[in-house]
Amino acid sequence: MNVGIAQGERNPNSSWLNSRGVWLTYIILVFVLHFILLSIPYITTSVAWTLTTTIHNLCNYYLFHVVKGAPWETSDQGRARRFTFWEQIDDGIQWTGTRKFLQIVPVVLFFIASFYTKYDKTHFLINLATMLLAVVPKFPIFFGVRLLDINRY
Amino acid sequence: MFLDKLMSPKTAVNQNLDIVMSNYQTNKPGDDNNRTSDHRNREEFEETPTWAAVVTVLGYAILSALGWLRDFLRHIVVFTRSKQISYECFYTRNLYTRIRDVFNQPIASVAGAKVHVMERVSDDYNWTFKFSGKKIPSINLGSYNYLGFAENQGPCSEQAIKSIETYAVTTCSTRHELGHQRYVKELESLMAEYLNVEDCIAFGMGFATNALNIPTLAGKGDLILSDKLNHVSLILGARLSGATIRTFNHNDMKDLEAHLRKAIISGQPRTCRPWKKILIIVEGVYSMEGSLCKLPEIIELKKKYKAYLYVDEAHSIGAIGSRGRGVVDYWKVDPNDIEIHMGTFTKSFGSAGGYIAGKKNIIDYIRVSSHSACYSSSMSAPIVQQIISALSIIMGRDGTNDGQKRIQQLACNVRYFRRQLVDMGFIVYGNNNSPVVPVMLFMPAKIAAVNREMLKRDCAVVTVGFPATLLTESRVRFCISAGHTKEMLDHALKAMDEVGHLVSLRYSKKNPHHRWVELDHADYDKEYTS
Repeated sequence: MNVGIAQGERNPNSSWLNSRGVWLTYIILVFVLHFILLSIPYITTSVAWTLTTTIHNLCNYYLFHVVKGAPWETSDQGRARRFTFWEQIDDGIQWTGTRKFLQIVPVVLFFIASFYTKYDKTHFLINLATMLLAVVPKFPIFFGVRLLDINRY
Repeated sequence: MFLDKLMSPKTAVNQNLDIVMSNYQTNKPGDDNNRTSDHRNREEFEETPTWAAVVTVLGYAILSALGWLRDFLRHIVVFTRSKQISYECFYTRNLYTRIRDVFNQPIASVAGAKVHVMERVSDDYNWTFKFSGKKIPSINLGSYNYLGFAENQGPCSEQAIKSIETYAVTTCSTRHELGHQRYVKELESLMAEYLNVEDCIAFGMGFATNALNIPTLAGKGDLILSDKLNHVSLILGARLSGATIRTFNHNDMKDLEAHLRKAIISGQPRTCRPWKKILIIVEGVYSMEGSLCKLPEIIELKKKYKAYLYVDEAHSIGAIGSRGRGVVDYWKVDPNDIEIHMGTFTKSFGSAGGYIAGKKNIIDYIRVSSHSACYSSSMSAPIVQQIISALSIIMGRDGTNDGQKRIQQLACNVRYFRRQLVDMGFIVYGNNNSPVVPVMLFMPAKIAAVNREMLKRDCAVVTVGFPATLLTESRVRFCISAGHTKEMLDHALKAMDEVGHLVSLRYSKKNPHHRWVELDHADYDKEYTS
C-alpha cells in the first residue's frame, strides 16, 4: 500500500478523528466559513448565521451519512465498504468522545443561530430542519439503517 | 469483528467498566521503576504543539477539498488521463501521487553506508517516471544496516560466495524432505549459543516467521495481548491463529496489568471459561517510534499472572546491548524468563530470514508442526553463510575484536547523532540508545520537502506519513549504522540543520533551538572518542 505501514490498523477512517488537533480545526473551519460569509456585503448577520448552519449541516450530512467506504485501500478486506463514515468511526462503538462531540456541534450552532436571528420564524424553521438532518442520523438506533433502501449498496 | 459490532454495537458503558477495573492495580511504587527510569535509558515523546496539529489537519483538509473538486471535474469533464474513479483510490489519486517521487526510490549499488540513488524525472506530475540516467551518491540513512554488514567486500561476502561453490544456491526442497543441510544446523546451534538459550530454529523469511509461527503457538481459546504499535507481521500472525486479541497502550504497564486482571477475572467471552493460555507479544525496538520495551516490568507482570511472553527482536538483535545480544542483554534479564525469543537476520546481520529461540521442547514442537517449517523451502547457502560469518565476527570467534568495535561504533554514532539533533531543537522520539531516530515533521507537505531537500544535499532518508503513522505524526526516520563515519554523520547533521531551517522543523518547546554553527562541537567530539 504505502511506505512502511508499521501499524495494523485496518481502517484509518476509524481513528483519525481522534487525533490531536482535529476537533479544534473543525471548529476553526466552521468559523472561517462564517467569516467568509460575513464579508459578503449584502448578507445580514442573521442570514449569515443561517447560511453557516445550513452549509455546515448539509456538508455534515453528505460526508458522514451519504458517502460510503473509505478513501484508502484498507486492509480490512472491504468490510467497511457498505458503511458510511459515521458508522466506521471507532469501529462502531457508540457514545465515544468523538461521536458525542460531532453530535453536539450542530446543536450548538443551532442555538447560536437562533440567538443571532432573534428567533425569527422562517430562520427557525430552516435551522431546525437542517439541524435534524445532521443530528438524527447520528442516533445509535439508526446504526446501519438504510431507509427505503436508499444508499444501500 | 466489524460485523459482530453491527449486530450489537458495544456501548461506552462497557468501556467505563474497563476504566473501573484499571483502578485496581497493585504496582508498588519504586519497584522496578529504578531500572526503567534510569537516566541513560530515557525515552522522550514530546507532545505535538497544538498549532502544529491544527495546521497539519488544515493541510490535509485543504488537500482533501481540492481532491473532491478535482474528482468532480474529472467526472463532468473528460481529461486526457481519465482513470476509473473509485472512492478507495481517493487518497492514492489526490494525495499520494503528488509526492510519489519520494517513495520507492530505486537504488543502484550496495545499500551500505553510502548508496547510489537513481534519479527520476516526471513530466506528468508523478504519474509516470523516466530515469534521467544520473546516479546520486548519497549517505544512506534509511537502511537497517545497524552493524554495517551490508557490504560486498570483506570476509563475510567472500565466505558466502565460497559456500555457493560447495553447496550451490538452493536445495530445491523443504526442511522436512531433502532440504535439511548442515549449514542450517550450524546456524541454529550458533544462534542458540549467541542468545544463551537451549535451542533455535531458523526460517527463510522474517515476516513469515511471525505470521506463520504465532498460529502454531496460539489458537482458539487463547488470549493474545499485543502492544498497539506492533508490526503487521505480528498482527497477521495473531489474526491467523484464531485466538482472542486485546491490545494495550504502547509500553503502558498499568494498561497491560489492567487487561491481564480483567481477562483472568472474566475469562473467555460468552462462556466465561478460563483461558487456555495468555501470550503477551511485544517488540524489542519499535521501528516507527524508536522506543524500547520495558522488559523487566513485563517479566514481573508475566510471572505474577502466569502468562507467556513473546519478544520480537527484529530491530534490536545485534544493535542494542553492550555485547549486541539484544534487549535481553540491554536490560540484563535472564533469557529463560522469556518463553519465545524471535528475531530477524535482515537488519543487523546483513542477510535475510528469521529465527525463533527458546526451550528445546518448544522449538521441537515448532519444528514438527509449524507451517513455515513444513512447507517453505529451506534457506539458501550463501545467505546462511553470511549470517554465520557475521555472527562469528560479532561473537569474536574469528580472532579479531572487529565485532565489539562495530557494536561500540554504533553506540557512539547513535549517542552523537541523537544528542546533536535534540540540542538543535528538533523533536526526536524514542530511547536515547535506539539506533532508530524518528524526527517529527507533522505537515504533509514537509514529508516531500524534507526528502527532496536532503537528497539534494546527498543524504538518502526515509520519510513516512499518514496512514502509516498517526494523522498528525509524520516523521523522517534515520537509521544509524556502524558503517557511518564521523564525517558522514557531520555531513548529515549539517544537511538536517539547513533543511530544518528552510522548512522550519524546530518544534521543540523543551529544548532551545540552535543552528549547527552555534553548537559547541568540542564537547561532542570529546564524548564521541570516549
